[in-house]
Amino acid sequence: MNNIPGKITMSEWSEIFNSLPEKIIERYCYYNNNEWGRYLQPPATFFVYGARELKRLKFDNSLAALRMWGFVFNESERLFRAKQSGKKVIATCGDLGTVPVIIMGFPDCIPFYPECIWWTPFFNESNVLLEPAHQLGAPEAACFSKAALGAFYKRAYFPKPDLIFASTGASCDDYSCVLQLIEGLGYEIEWLEIPYRRGFDYPERFVKYLTNEYERVYKKMKNLTNFDKPEQLAETIKKINRLRLRVEEIKALVYNADISPLPALELMVIEFGNLYGYADIDEWLDIVDMIYETVKQRVAAHQGVLSPDAVPVAWITPSADPYLLNLIEDYGMRVVETEYVINQALVKIEEAIEPFTALAKSFMKASLIGSTRERIARIQKAVAAGRIKGIIITNMLGASHCAMETGLIGYYLRDVPSITIDVPAPSGITEQIKNRLMAFAETLRQGYYE
Amino acid sequence: MELIGYTCSYIPVEILSAAGYRPYRLLHGDFGLMEKSDPWLRVDACPLVRSNLGFLLEHQQRFVAVVGSTGCDMSRRMLEIVDAITDIPTIIINMPRTDRLEIYYDEIDYLIKRLAELSGGRIDDEQINRQIRVWEGLRNFYRHYSEKRRENPSRLSTVSFHHLVANFHQGNTQPVSYSQLEVSNLPRVFLLGSPVGYESTFLLKIIEKYLRIIWDYNCGLSRFLNVKIKGKGVDGIKSAYYQQPPCILRRPNKKFYEFIKKKIVEYKPTGMVLSTLDYCDAYEFELIKIGNIFGLPTLNLRSDFSFQNRSQLETRINAFQEMINT
Repeated sequence: MNNIPGKITMSEWSEIFNSLPEKIIERYCYYNNNEWGRYLQPPATFFVYGARELKRLKFDNSLAALRMWGFVFNESERLFRAKQSGKKVIATCGDLGTVPVIIMGFPDCIPFYPECIWWTPFFNESNVLLEPAHQLGAPEAACFSKAALGAFYKRAYFPKPDLIFASTGASCDDYSCVLQLIEGLGYEIEWLEIPYRRGFDYPERFVKYLTNEYERVYKKMKNLTNFDKPEQLAETIKKINRLRLRVEEIKALVYNADISPLPALELMVIEFGNLYGYADIDEWLDIVDMIYETVKQRVAAHQGVLSPDAVPVAWITPSADPYLLNLIEDYGMRVVETEYVINQALVKIEEAIEPFTALAKSFMKASLIGSTRERIARIQKAVAAGRIKGIIITNMLGASHCAMETGLIGYYLRDVPSITIDVPAPSGITEQIKNRLMAFAETLRQGYYE
Repeated sequence: MELIGYTCSYIPVEILSAAGYRPYRLLHGDFGLMEKSDPWLRVDACPLVRSNLGFLLEHQQRFVAVVGSTGCDMSRRMLEIVDAITDIPTIIINMPRTDRLEIYYDEIDYLIKRLAELSGGRIDDEQINRQIRVWEGLRNFYRHYSEKRRENPSRLSTVSFHHLVANFHQGNTQPVSYSQLEVSNLPRVFLLGSPVGYESTFLLKIIEKYLRIIWDYNCGLSRFLNVKIKGKGVDGIKSAYYQQPPCILRRPNKKFYEFIKKKIVEYKPTGMVLSTLDYCDAYEFELIKIGNIFGLPTLNLRSDFSFQNRSQLETRINAFQEMINT
């Protein structure tokens, strides 16, 4: 393995992979099963499986990153394996980060987020999930989370869930509508109500509303599994907190390093791992620890994957197309702050209080249940501190919160330039988008705005 | 009297009125108003929301507050923009999407508290009961007109009905009568879909040139008539508003479909016109289901409140009429 950090192509990874000793490949497996749980594979393997965008992407060249990609791309297989081996597979939709904590407290229960399949059409450069979604009623101008509808319809991307929990209320309308269509396919959905926060001095009863919902989740799970040890939830919370803390440590290292020690794409995948550990929380924790060690070593050695003069920017709303995260780095920018609508999955869950209440309180910090001002407060602070020179906002045409928030985000963060990109359909990143990003980077570099 | 804006069918006008304000439902659908909100909203925002924001920006001084709910994401978020760029106070209540009666009841109590703070007075049961009498009386008055649409042959156009009920939506507590007979033997249809704006008469006129709308379930038309307050005081209001036939955004939305099916049996329309606004998630996601589930010929119309597709709309409506007649 090359010890000099950098970003490499899929083909370069294949060459390096060929030189990896077998014992390393054998070392990593999901569900702790060395017989069928190995996942360390080069990106080219997943390219062959259909992830055609991989040929355009550049990846971090560390073993930790290789392990991460192998694990993440393997999720579909893992979920089917879980089902085959008698585990319960539970779909948790819409809340992005809290309900899975309850599910993980039950033995052999695997939570996953169907909406996270929104990356698949982009990795696959294919409309194979979006087209059926449109035929089933999702508008073309709607959030790419509609890919979940296509996946439920096709039944080939994850096994039929044993239970489906879906959050609705003060969330985005698009996904709530997608879930309604999924229910229309004949899936039974347990709906959970999410309250609107109304400021951080919200009434205590909002916590109670959520607590009731989480207790309902627990009861459903208890009935499904015949397992009833509420104290287990406290243990799971500790585990989740360990993950969240580790991810915050990685982010802090990456954001504050002189030279960025990890690409933005890998860091986004790491952040989203907080939602459910990509369907094997223990293995994911181990991967994140390994990434942390890699990043720490790089920072200590003053090594990184980007140019030292890369311009620091913040990224608001995750991009369904991973290629964009690559591109901005190619053009000389680096991501040093994010708001990927998953704040609820990043915060520490209180451990000294009743677990359901702790979960409810952590969810009350969610990105989309309050105001835009609250959502981007962290980025506002970073702008005020001079840590951020520009803002990149990625949107989806027709997605309810994107349409309403973009203007306000620009208003609240008006001290720095911002650029808004409507993420196009798969394979849709045009020269025009590239030119806009290049021009944005150029503007930031030259400091015209200052 | 100062206006208090509101955005949702689950916000009780009786309570807004008891606070001493004139309840004004934000139901604007004007292309010119939309342009005024352009600095704040993307083109893929709901045209009704864009138009309402434009109206609020243009008439800020007339509004003492705006009350919204979480019933629809874009409407809720509009209030944050109002809060950020105007001096109009905003109040947002949680309108549960699932069957969580206690949340709605608590939120109505919160609304009353906030309105009392805003008006500097108390809102007591006596005031509430007085307002129930006023507004329930108005609903009864307009129910009578809605029934005229239903008669066979229909004796009132929805164009005229729309004009009449705009008075209710704009907080006019004086009943406005209409005595002209508008008998029609055109095919009898239902109207479903996104809210019908105050400025949407042109669309209704085109539809009713070829069809007669005998019932609807649209905000801005007769949806408010489904609220029937039987009890007294705040509890009577809470119960009536919560029990009204559900919004399509309720989860699951099975009861919405059951309600419409019941109405189809009752009214026996020969077709259905589904009118949606651009980017209206509530209905756009359900178009296929609505087209399939009721067993009626259905025409989907889409609008952004502009007149640009007027001729195309007319051709399609005309073709729909021919199809029904055949």
